[in-house]
Amino acid sequence: MLKKLAVISSLILTTPAFAVNSPINGQVQAKCSIWTETQGVYGNPLPNKLDTLPASGGTKASIRVDIAQANFYKARFTHPITFSSSPTLNDTVAWTGSTVLGQVSVSGMSVYEAAKVISPSNVTTFDMTLAGSTWFTVSSTALYGYNKSFPAGSYVAQIVAECIAK
Amino acid sequence: MKLLLSLMFVLWANYGFAHEMTPAYPKFVTSYIDDVSSTKMKLFNRREDVSYYEVEVFNNDWEPVPFASTNRIFKLGYQKSTSFEVYIQTKDLKYAVYICTVSKNFKQEKKVTIVASRICSKID
Repeated sequence: MLKKLAVISSLILTTPAFAVNSPINGQVQAKCSIWTETQGVYGNPLPNKLDTLPASGGTKASIRVDIAQANFYKARFTHPITFSSSPTLNDTVAWTGSTVLGQVSVSGMSVYEAAKVISPSNVTTFDMTLAGSTWFTVSSTALYGYNKSFPAGSYVAQIVAECIAK
Repeated sequence: MKLLLSLMFVLWANYGFAHEMTPAYPKFVTSYIDDVSSTKMKLFNRREDVSYYEVEVFNNDWEPVPFASTNRIFKLGYQKSTSFEVYIQTKDLKYAVYICTVSKNFKQEKKVTIVASRICSKID
């Protein structure tokens, strides 16, 4: 009885094997990712100055842009010219800043720095002609009035990192 | 040494917060609504510091173009992806050039620079 049952169950459980091709499909799309690796921090080396330079006690923002396929995107960075939040300021703030090429994953990307376009003065555009990872360093400095001290409080400014399909 | 390098690569590759959107060149098709075309986009949020994104449509001069979407501003958790449809009146489609998503940052209480990320696809 037990033998019979074992034979029947093995017959039921044994499924025929079909030889089929099992392709693994994949697709690489033209894709851009913006990675915020380091948020910038303002140092306050002088009463009237906020600066992301390490020498001023600050930290520059580091942003990585990954491009999956060459020549499909441009990267655009806007460094701040206003605070998005701050205490009330009664005098003008003079802003400066820059976006420079940092590390590159492909040596050919080093030409991006010379080819960058700055227009208007706080917007820097890079043509991403090669696939891979590229790091950009954004710095920002704010000088308040004429030798006036920034009022005490929190100051936040916004950097915009953009990836635009060409 | 190889193990250390592999570990460094894995740690390095996963460090940071990213914003991704596909496709790069979306195609509009006729929607089920008369005189309205639509396309489907996919957004992936790997920015732990961002939970909200806004959809924008621009012309060649970066002026806004009227459009409709399931949600203009939507919540998207960390490591989550979502698909959304963009609807544009067929008469406006010839002006529309870019579909963008921009991160919405919360107000912070520090001396910092916050990074807003925007990814723009170009309408095919």
